[in-house]
Amino acid sequence: MDTLAQSLNAGAIAPEAAILVALIACLLADLAGERTAARFVPPFTYLGLGTSLVLLALQWNQPAAPSFFGSFLADNLAVAFRAVVATSTLLSLLISWRYVERAGTPVGEYASILLAATIGAMLLCGATDLVSIFVALETLSVSSYLLSGYMKRDARSSEAALKYLLVGSAAAAVFLYGTSLLYGVSGGSTDLASITEALTATGVAPLSALALVFVLATVAFKISAVPFHQWTPDVYEGSPTPVVAFLSVGSKAAGFALALRLLVGCFSAFEAQWQLLFTVLAVLSMTLGNVVALAQTSMKRMLAYSSIGQAGFVMIGLVCGTQEGFSAMVLYMAAYLFMNLGAFACITLFSLRTGSDRISDYAGLYQKDPLITLALSLCLLSLGGIPPMLGFFGKIYLFFAGWADGQYLLVVVGLLTSVISIYYYISVIKMMVVKEPQEASDVVKSYPAITWVQPGLQPLRAALLVCLAVTAIGGVLSNPLFTWSNQAVEGTPLLQSLISQGPSVPPA
Amino acid sequence: MPPLADLTELIVFVLLAAGVVVGSLGVVLLPNVVYSAFLLGGVFLSVAGLYLLLNASFIAAAQVLIYVGAVNVLILFAIMLVNKREPMADAPGLGLRRLLSSGVCAGLLWLLLRVAYTTPWATPGPTPLGEDAVVRLGEHFFTDYLLPFELASVLLLMAMIGAIVLARRDVFASDIGTGEAADQGLIEKARSPLLIEKTRP
Amino acid sequence: MTLPSLSALTPVPLEAFLTVAALLFCIGVWGLINSRNAVRVLMSIELMLNAVNINLMAFSSHLDGQEIRGQVYAIFVITVAAAEAAVGLAILLSLYRNRETVDMERFNLLRW
Repeated sequence: MDTLAQSLNAGAIAPEAAILVALIACLLADLAGERTAARFVPPFTYLGLGTSLVLLALQWNQPAAPSFFGSFLADNLAVAFRAVVATSTLLSLLISWRYVERAGTPVGEYASILLAATIGAMLLCGATDLVSIFVALETLSVSSYLLSGYMKRDARSSEAALKYLLVGSAAAAVFLYGTSLLYGVSGGSTDLASITEALTATGVAPLSALALVFVLATVAFKISAVPFHQWTPDVYEGSPTPVVAFLSVGSKAAGFALALRLLVGCFSAFEAQWQLLFTVLAVLSMTLGNVVALAQTSMKRMLAYSSIGQAGFVMIGLVCGTQEGFSAMVLYMAAYLFMNLGAFACITLFSLRTGSDRISDYAGLYQKDPLITLALSLCLLSLGGIPPMLGFFGKIYLFFAGWADGQYLLVVVGLLTSVISIYYYISVIKMMVVKEPQEASDVVKSYPAITWVQPGLQPLRAALLVCLAVTAIGGVLSNPLFTWSNQAVEGTPLLQSLISQGPSVPPA
Repeated sequence: MPPLADLTELIVFVLLAAGVVVGSLGVVLLPNVVYSAFLLGGVFLSVAGLYLLLNASFIAAAQVLIYVGAVNVLILFAIMLVNKREPMADAPGLGLRRLLSSGVCAGLLWLLLRVAYTTPWATPGPTPLGEDAVVRLGEHFFTDYLLPFELASVLLLMAMIGAIVLARRDVFASDIGTGEAADQGLIEKARSPLLIEKTRP
Repeated sequence: MTLPSLSALTPVPLEAFLTVAALLFCIGVWGLINSRNAVRVLMSIELMLNAVNINLMAFSSHLDGQEIRGQVYAIFVITVAAAEAAVGLAILLSLYRNRETVDMERFNLLRW
C-alpha cells in the first residue's frame, strides 16, 4: 500500500487538481442559471487558480520524484512553466468577463473550457510519457478550438475555429505518426527515458530523422514558428480577444516546455540536427514575423505576427543549450507573459469601449483615455525591448546567452529584427500620442465617457494595472527573476545532464 | 502452426489491406460526399479486421463501436444537416495544386516506406498475449497510464459541453450585466459589411 | 476458448502492416490538402488517425506482445479522435449557419 502511494506520488498534480475542482464548481454554478453563474464563477476560478499557484510554489526546489509510474515529473522546469500557464489563465480570465458578457455568450462554460485548456497545458509541461503528452496536448488543443469558435454567431469566429481545428488535428496526426515510430524503435516503450536510450543506440538513421521532423513540426505548430505559422494570424484575428491572450502566452509556454522535454531531452543524440532545424525556424520566425507585422492594419493581427517574432527570440535560448540559454528562455517567457497580456488587456478594453480593432482608430487616443495609452505604450515598448522595461532585460539576457554560445547569426538577426519591431510598435504609440485632437479618428472623437461601473470592468482594470506595474518596474527588480529562472534550470535534472554532456561546440 | 492457417491469414490480410486502400481512395476521390462517408465506414471495418489479425480483439471491438458506430454516424448526420447542393465553382490553380500535392504525397510515401523497410525492427518480439490482453489493458489503465486515463475524462467532458454550446441554437441572447441585447459575435465589429456570398439557388 | 491463431504471432510481416499504414496516411494527407468540402477534410483526418493506429497495433503485436502498450495508446487515440470529430462537426455546423456553405475555398473572411 505504501509503495503504491509512493509510486503514484499523486501530490505532484495537486495544482492541476485544484483547477479541476474549480472547473467542476463552475459547471455546478452554471446549472443554477446565467445570473448565478455570472456572480459565482469568477470567484471560483480565482480561488482555484490561486490555490494552484500556491501549491506550485510549495513544489519549488523539491526533489523531483517521478509520479504516476513515470508519466509525470514535477521538476523545477515543469513548475516554472506551469506557473506561467496558470498565471496567464488567471490574467486572461480577468480580462474576459466583460467581453464574454457583452457578447451574450454563457460565462460558466467559457470559464470551464478555459480551465480545461489550462489543465491540459499544465500537464503537458511535466508529462514524461508519450501517451500522457498526447492526451494533454489534445486536451489543450480541443479546448482551444472550442474557445476560438465561442462567438458562434460570428462567421469570423467560426471560420477561425474551423481552420484551427483542421490544421491542429492534422498536426496531431503527424505527431502521432512520429511517436508511433518512436514506440516501434524503442521496442515497445512509451516513456521518454527508454526512447532516449533507444534513439541513442540507433544513431542517425532515416527513422530517427523522420521522427524528429514529424515531432518538430508539431512543436513548431504549437509555438507557431515559421513555416508552421499560417494558422496564427487568422485564428488570432477571428478569436475572442481574451482567448487570443491565453493562446499567445499559455499555449505557447506549454509548447516550449514540450520542445524542451521531447526534442532537447529525447533527441539529445541528434543535437546538431535539431539545433540546425531550430536555427532555421528561429531565423525565419524572427524575420517573417517582424517584417509582415509592419503591414498590418488590425491590432490583433499585428500582435499575432509580433508573437511569431517573439517565439523566434525565445528559440535562441533553446538553440544554445547552455545554462544561460535555458534560463534566458524561462525568464523571457515570464516577461512575455506580463507584457503581452498587458497589451491584450488594453486592446480588449479599447474594443469594449469602441467596438474597433483597427490600428488607425487608435489615433489621438491620448486626449480621451490616458490609461490605455500609457499602458499600451509601455507594454509595446517592452515587447520591442526598449531599456528600462522588463522586456529589455529578457531580450538582452537571451542575446547575451546566444553570443556566449557562438550563435552569432541568430543574435545578429535578432538585433536587426528587434529594430524593425521597435519601428512598428513605436508607430502605434506615435499614432496614439502625437496626433492633434482634430486629427483623431472618428472612433476616438465619439469616445464614450470612461466608467468602470459595468460588471466585469473592475477585474479588467486590475489585470491591466498588474501587467503595467510588472512591465514597468519589473525591469528594475529583475534580479529575483534572474535567480528564479536560474533555479528553474538548476533544479531540472534533465537539463543539467544535457548541459554537463558538453556544450555544443562553437564554430570559432 | 500449419501452413494452411498461415496462408489463410495472408489471404485475409491481402483482402483487408486492399479494402483499406481502395476504400480510402474512394473517400478522398468520389465526387459525392455521401458515398465517401459510407466508404469511410468500410475502411473502418477493414481496419478492425486488421486489428483482429494482430491479436487485438478488444481494440477491434472498440474500433467498430466507436468509429463505425459513433464517428461515422456523426459524419453522416453532419452531411445531412449541411446538405445543400452546392456547385463548387472551380478555383483557379486547382489542377496545379492537385499535381503538386500528389508529388508531395508520393515523396512522403517513399520516405515512410523507406523508413519501414530499412529500420532493423527488433522482431520477433515476445509471444503475443492473445485473449489475456484485456486483463493487461485494464492493469495498464489503472497503473502506469492512470494519468492520461483520468485526463481523457476531462477531455471528453469538455468536448461534450463545448460541442453542445456551439451547436445549440440560442433564440435570444442578452448581456447578463446590463440586460442589453447581444449578438454573440466578436466585439470588434467588421467595418465594411461582410461580403457573405449567399450561394446561388 | 481462444482460437489458436489468435494468440500466436501472425505470419504477416511487420513491414506489410507498416506499408498499409503509410499508404493510408498519405491518402489522408492528399485528401486533407485537396478536399473542397469541409466534411471530407474531417474524414481525411480520420484516415490519418487510423493509419497511426495500424502502426501502433502492428508494433504492439510484433515487438511488444506482452505489455501491449501500443494497444493502450491506440485506445487513447480512438478516444481523442471521437472527441475531435464531435467538436469538429459542432464547429462546422455553427459555421454553416453563419455562412451557408461548406466549401473550403469560400472560407475567406480572414485572409488565409
